[in-house]
Amino acid sequence: MKPSLSSLYQAVELRQPIPPLLVGERTNANGSKLFRERLLADDFEGCLRIGLDQEAGGAQVLDLCAAYAGRDETKDMIRLVSLFARSVKAPLMIDSTTPDCIEACLKIYPGRCIVNSINLEDGGVYLRRVCRLLRKYGAAAVALTIHEKGMAMTAADKIATARRIHDIAVGEFGLRPSDLLFDPLTFTIGAGDETLRDAAVQTLEAIRGIKAALPGVGTILGISNISFGLSPASRRALNSVFLHEAVAAGLDAAIVDAAKILPLASIPEADREVCLDLLYDRVRDSAKTPLTRFIEHFRAAKGGETGEREAAAGKERPEAALFQQVVKGDPEGLEDRLSILLGRVQPLAIINDILVPAMRHVGELFGRGELLLPFVLQSAEVMKKAVALLEPLMEREASAHRLTVLLATVQGDVHDIGKNLVDIILTNNGYRVINLGIKVPAETIIEKAREHRADIIGLSGLLVKSAIVMKESLPQYQAAGLRMPILLGGAALTEKFVAESCVPAYEAPVVYCADAFAGLRAVRAFEAGALASTRLAAESREKTTPKPGVKNVEIRRDVPTPTPPFYGYRHVEDIPVADIFPYVNEQALFRGRWGYRRAKLSADEYAALIRDTVVPLYKDLQRRAIEEHWLAPKAAYGYFHGFAKDDTVYVRDGDRIHAFPFPRQSEPPHLCIADFFKTEEEGGDVVGFFVVTIGDAMDRLTHELYKADRYHDYLIAHGFGVEVTDALAEYWHAVMRRELGIAGQEPSEIAGFVTQNYQGSRYGFGYPACPDLEAHRPVFELLRPEALGITLTENMQMVPEQTTSAIVAHHPQAKYFAV
Amino acid sequence: MRYICANCGYIYDPARGDPMSHIPPDTPFEDLPEDWVCPICYVAKDAFDPMD
Repeated sequence: MKPSLSSLYQAVELRQPIPPLLVGERTNANGSKLFRERLLADDFEGCLRIGLDQEAGGAQVLDLCAAYAGRDETKDMIRLVSLFARSVKAPLMIDSTTPDCIEACLKIYPGRCIVNSINLEDGGVYLRRVCRLLRKYGAAAVALTIHEKGMAMTAADKIATARRIHDIAVGEFGLRPSDLLFDPLTFTIGAGDETLRDAAVQTLEAIRGIKAALPGVGTILGISNISFGLSPASRRALNSVFLHEAVAAGLDAAIVDAAKILPLASIPEADREVCLDLLYDRVRDSAKTPLTRFIEHFRAAKGGETGEREAAAGKERPEAALFQQVVKGDPEGLEDRLSILLGRVQPLAIINDILVPAMRHVGELFGRGELLLPFVLQSAEVMKKAVALLEPLMEREASAHRLTVLLATVQGDVHDIGKNLVDIILTNNGYRVINLGIKVPAETIIEKAREHRADIIGLSGLLVKSAIVMKESLPQYQAAGLRMPILLGGAALTEKFVAESCVPAYEAPVVYCADAFAGLRAVRAFEAGALASTRLAAESREKTTPKPGVKNVEIRRDVPTPTPPFYGYRHVEDIPVADIFPYVNEQALFRGRWGYRRAKLSADEYAALIRDTVVPLYKDLQRRAIEEHWLAPKAAYGYFHGFAKDDTVYVRDGDRIHAFPFPRQSEPPHLCIADFFKTEEEGGDVVGFFVVTIGDAMDRLTHELYKADRYHDYLIAHGFGVEVTDALAEYWHAVMRRELGIAGQEPSEIAGFVTQNYQGSRYGFGYPACPDLEAHRPVFELLRPEALGITLTENMQMVPEQTTSAIVAHHPQAKYFAV
Repeated sequence: MRYICANCGYIYDPARGDPMSHIPPDTPFEDLPEDWVCPICYVAKDAFDPMD
């Protein structure tokens, strides 16, 4: 006779001609919320209805479980078994690990049932006790591959455990192998746990292995465990495909919600493929785990479904929801979602398998122009928050293997926004970043690189001089014996400069990074062993890039010298903030400083972004800047007698003469700032200077925002400060033109200021036409801006950071140029 | 189509070209040499956004 189970009404063969035998899983207080609620309400009839529904849905056996804390399991089971025995045709699977309860059920059940389950958790005491009952009542049993150390994870361990159970049950108690259904257990591959990526593979191998090693026995599996944590729709597909694979491997019985198993043929080919890739951990895209691809595939597939469904799915799968939260930069409900996930996923796995892939996705979107910098920073904020919540729960060593990147703004440079953006992006992609701050001498960088065992060094600097500092310090790194790659970034650097002037000085890769994501790409390339020094394409090597500008220029010498309202310096402290705002270069602020680039948007979409997001943001900042006194615009300026001699402008201050030597272009038209001033022989000239500041409140605010990991607000506030400072310089330059009586045709809009549609020019110290900051020394002697709270660092940079200086030329041909 | 420099706000108008860099009128932005830079602030072509 074929091994079978039976109820009052019918017998069911354990080995179905067409496997698998379907065991209904919903009549389980631990697996079904509805069943539990009815049980807790003593609604046994309601519990029965769930059983009947399962049977109607195709279940051939019903798994019945009433083990629930606070309930009397035996009492409940006796009640349920009696009720089910009378009303359900399908035989029962008595799901309990309490021997007394099992025995009570076996006693009253009018048929042959199967006990779920036996195992080796306590080494065999429990197993032997239940085997005795199985023999006494003639029941079959589900045997879980659990031993003294826990659930067997690998196929080999699962098979070995099955053999031990088999040997006791068959060898010692004389049970028939055919009455044993081994459950090799499966774990979810839906939670992103790296150690479980091959869980399905191990389980399928165990099914084959157990059947080969133990002739006559059967196998059974709780199918839906495989997809725990995923969305309902995707679970259905994954469960069905997994069941199909398991049966192909020899599975005899499956514990499932039978009504939710889909025929393989009704699952679209593409769905089946991502399911199989996930089950067999087949990586098709090095940037995405099969799980990420699976989640994205089913998310895309459900795009057309209703929002309600989306919301329900969001509740059901915190993994995908967390991924989306990071991508969207939405911190709402982050803590709740993490605490749900932490119930079953390791903190490190949450970071590595959800958060980091999400940031990676954000980086890809940014790279494709589909996501703008401010949104990237919002994502990084959510990432940072999540990591901050998870880190205390992680073992220290877990984070010890991360790649370490040392960052510094080079000596003589106080600009840190670029370096800090790199820090934000790298940190939130899982790397360890040591941020040494600003004005860091090469010696310190070398020392810290050794101390922290840095894998990579990143150097940053905005000034023209910083590019030179980087170039000149490379031999020092080389001589110190450092051989880790060095990444260079900063406004004044170019690919060509790095390739030609920096790369040859250092043995290891020297890489130009245009922005923070280029830095991230370089770090990833290093990890992959594929980081190489910046090289120029052949064609650009041959070409010498011509600097913009007219090639032949005759500087007129007969320009009338204006008369300033005074000679010497003056300080102005009560500049109305409202007068400055009209001079803000909104295009540079929105697109440049803030990163609201047009990118992939249509003209209309971009206009809507500016109208609905950016302008309100800007207006709000303007309002707060006034209300909260962020801006205290001040100017120190003056007019002086002076003259040019060769490349130097000499400036008289009483009986002192200050020399301002300026560089000359090495290529035509060989311009030099001194060209725009008359010589002593020509009668001398009037030379203007100014130093303007918006005060230090913005510096403090941006610093606090950065410290508080408010990356988005940090970027916005910093950019606002930079452009308001520039607006102040533009405004003050206009004031000086008026005072000089040369404000004949002033531009009516900002675009006109950009292209200098006015008479004369201002040249900022540290910028292309006069890169040398040493000039600040005489400028400070001339203007005494210390009285306004403006000081110089040892490297001739001005503090507060949002301060700018210039020499003012009135000559109509004086315009911006680069040396 | 006009393009705007995201760094400084300079607008490249193809109808005018860029006399500073000897770019004749009626040169589309796409046809500017790869190493063309903003005549005002010297950033590269990829720092430009389409305007219209």
